[in-house]
Amino acid sequence: MSTSHYLIISGAGPYSGFLPRAALDMALTAAAFEQRVSIVFIGDGVRQLLKNQDTSAQEMKNIGKMIPALEMYEVNQVCLHKPSALAANIHDEVLIDNIDKIDDSALKQMISGADHVMVF
Amino acid sequence: MKFTLVINGAPWSSQSALSALKFAEAVLASGHDIYRLFFYQDGACNASLYCVPPQDEEDIPERWQSLITKHNLDAVVCAASALKRGILDESEANRYEKPGHNLRPGFTVSGLGQFIDASQQSDRVISFVT
Repeated sequence: MSTSHYLIISGAGPYSGFLPRAALDMALTAAAFEQRVSIVFIGDGVRQLLKNQDTSAQEMKNIGKMIPALEMYEVNQVCLHKPSALAANIHDEVLIDNIDKIDDSALKQMISGADHVMVF
Repeated sequence: MKFTLVINGAPWSSQSALSALKFAEAVLASGHDIYRLFFYQDGACNASLYCVPPQDEEDIPERWQSLITKHNLDAVVCAASALKRGILDESEANRYEKPGHNLRPGFTVSGLGQFIDASQQSDRVISFVT
């Protein structure tokens, strides 16, 4: 299989439905098939990057624990859309570490540079 | 042109499945090719043999099956999506000790890797979201 660049855009809140998990599954699968993979969290999706998520009362899998593992599974780039975070009043100190912050122009470049863009 | 269609919706819950079906028919009628149909998430329900729609409604799963058989299409149902929605082929039913299996003839169950492959092999990937 040849190598392409997959850009996954994850825009849903962490426990709003199946989309956040589907986006992560897609990122992990593309990485497992040795593709270049970037994932961008945008809109309500930035809330997936909050640290100290506690889902024990909801009995759901903790998305905040899955995101730091993406790098280990060879997802090349994990990005936060900075304007979305600012709009939600979410600042660096409450976010998972080692996330790239991107602005609108960087996002535009990523979209135009990717071979496949998938929006979740 | 080679198309792959991703069907995300259950047959009657949204316009996704019927739009995809009609798009697929139009693609083939126009002389283009379909590399793969990929049934994902609730779209897996299109592959159930056990759907019995009212007589005055379209039998969408039956129409998929006819189209797939007639044109010998590659129709893949995402395994994780199918299993959790109770869409099982014979081997999965045996494996999980379920009393029956209901995957329609013409469909196969496979992984998300089939979507990655399809996205590389096709000129266009069209998603029919809900």
